[in-house]
Amino acid sequence: MNAIIKLELKKNIQDRGMIFWTLVLPILFTVLFISVFTSGLNEAESQPVILSIVPGYTVMFVFFIMITMTESMIKDQNNGLVARIASTPLSSYLYLLGKWVPYMYIVFIQIVILLLFGKVVYNVPIEQLFYIIVLAFILTFMVTGLGLALAILVKTTNMGIALTQVLALGGALIGGLWMPLEMMPELLQTISRFTPQYWGHQGFREAMTGTLAMGDFFKISSVLLGFGILGFILALIGYPNFLKRTTG
Amino acid sequence: MEVLKVDQITKKYEKKTALANISLEIPAGVCFGLVGPNGAGKSTLLKIIASVIRNFQGKIRLTNPRMKIGYVPQEIALEETVTAQDNLVFFGKLYGLSGKALTLRIEEVLEEIGLTERAKDKVTTFSGGMKRRLNIGCALLHQPDLIIMDEPTVGIDPQSRRYIFQMIERLKQKGATIIYASHYMEEIERICDEAAFLDHGKVVENGRISMILEKHGKPSIFVSGNDCMPSGLESFGMLQEKAESYLLITRDPLQAMEYIVEYCKRSGSHPERLELAKPRLEDIFFSLTGSQLRE
Repeated sequence: MNAIIKLELKKNIQDRGMIFWTLVLPILFTVLFISVFTSGLNEAESQPVILSIVPGYTVMFVFFIMITMTESMIKDQNNGLVARIASTPLSSYLYLLGKWVPYMYIVFIQIVILLLFGKVVYNVPIEQLFYIIVLAFILTFMVTGLGLALAILVKTTNMGIALTQVLALGGALIGGLWMPLEMMPELLQTISRFTPQYWGHQGFREAMTGTLAMGDFFKISSVLLGFGILGFILALIGYPNFLKRTTG
Repeated sequence: MEVLKVDQITKKYEKKTALANISLEIPAGVCFGLVGPNGAGKSTLLKIIASVIRNFQGKIRLTNPRMKIGYVPQEIALEETVTAQDNLVFFGKLYGLSGKALTLRIEEVLEEIGLTERAKDKVTTFSGGMKRRLNIGCALLHQPDLIIMDEPTVGIDPQSRRYIFQMIERLKQKGATIIYASHYMEEIERICDEAAFLDHGKVVENGRISMILEKHGKPSIFVSGNDCMPSGLESFGMLQEKAESYLLITRDPLQAMEYIVEYCKRSGSHPERLELAKPRLEDIFFSLTGSQLRE
């Protein structure tokens, strides 16, 4: 399994496209939107906007790892690597785990860099560091778990890209990452609670300002873990079919 | 003694039967050819032997259950965005190698496949032949006793093909058993000791190649030129006439040739070509399976 983790990491580190999606684009968006929404505001008025955009865009952009995960699995399937690995002593479930773990590393590092960027450039507060770190782990588990499910269940890369856009952008819109929830209709505010983006955003924002109560922290963590476990279960259910499509 | 017994294997894909009750015995230390047109079931059978396909009816019996198997798929199943060395490290680890043993085997395999100088280059920069050689190399790292090769020479230049044949010869000399699937009959005739003909998921013939040639192959005489066909040639065998040429498939080629030469002398005609052709595996394959296109 370690061999797969190392190969996958090496492959992704060399992939400039992935660096663009995971770091460059989120930083550009963060800078752009903060400058647009804070223009003409004083520092005190700007702070809540920045405090919403930095964690909001972090949560939104971690979802795009699902495209890379889908591409990787479909490519392995199409070029015969999955079938070839099935002929080695490695169990198919260790292969699945080996394809999952590297993306956890990548997403965690992505979250750390994006939040650090917010701290260094915009001086966002980081009051409850422990909660932030734990939430970053759980968010990583959640998004890669859903990514794994998507990669296993879709049959083409295009389908994976389309569904990722729906999940990432649709979830960001409904989950209040683009505009304050208070400005949205009541119905949408209710629906937003069914999106992982809403919980991730709330958790980070409150932990950054130091207002995240322990009860809320557990509630948010449980919801995000639930989404991640759901993704993992869906991936496990779909995996035999994925192998069947690959190996016959 | 056989290393592997394929015992009444049947594999169905929904309504299509890919393999229908196939039984074969693969002797130790030979290169065993699997011959058949596209869709005959060659790849399916190889995938079953290599444990890639596990859902089938029948049994695969290995003489030694701990036998090491190396599988070379038909596709170039490599991670092309990293180097040849990275691919070898990856597959070596999957086969349970590590540390110095892995480093040493990688060096040996790179030497074997002729890629030592290109070990640190990305696979994307390789030619088709180099990729094919690396594809084979990745299956040799753990020194398998049984090597399964599924059309390993598809789409490569004659030099690379020859290199692969030489590699197979060396593997045979080291005692490995090889199962080699191809639809190129001349490859099978050249490198394999035994073969099985597959068509529509069934074995239509199998055994030593020399035995198959002897059993089914009849020599033929090819003649071209004006007025070179004596009457009564049908009594020697099967006659196939074309414009100003004919092919006589016969069990008694010398007598038939003498008959033709005598006729030409008498009539004063001069054949442009008068050839005695030895039987080829391809002709036998077509005579056993027919030559109509498959799906």
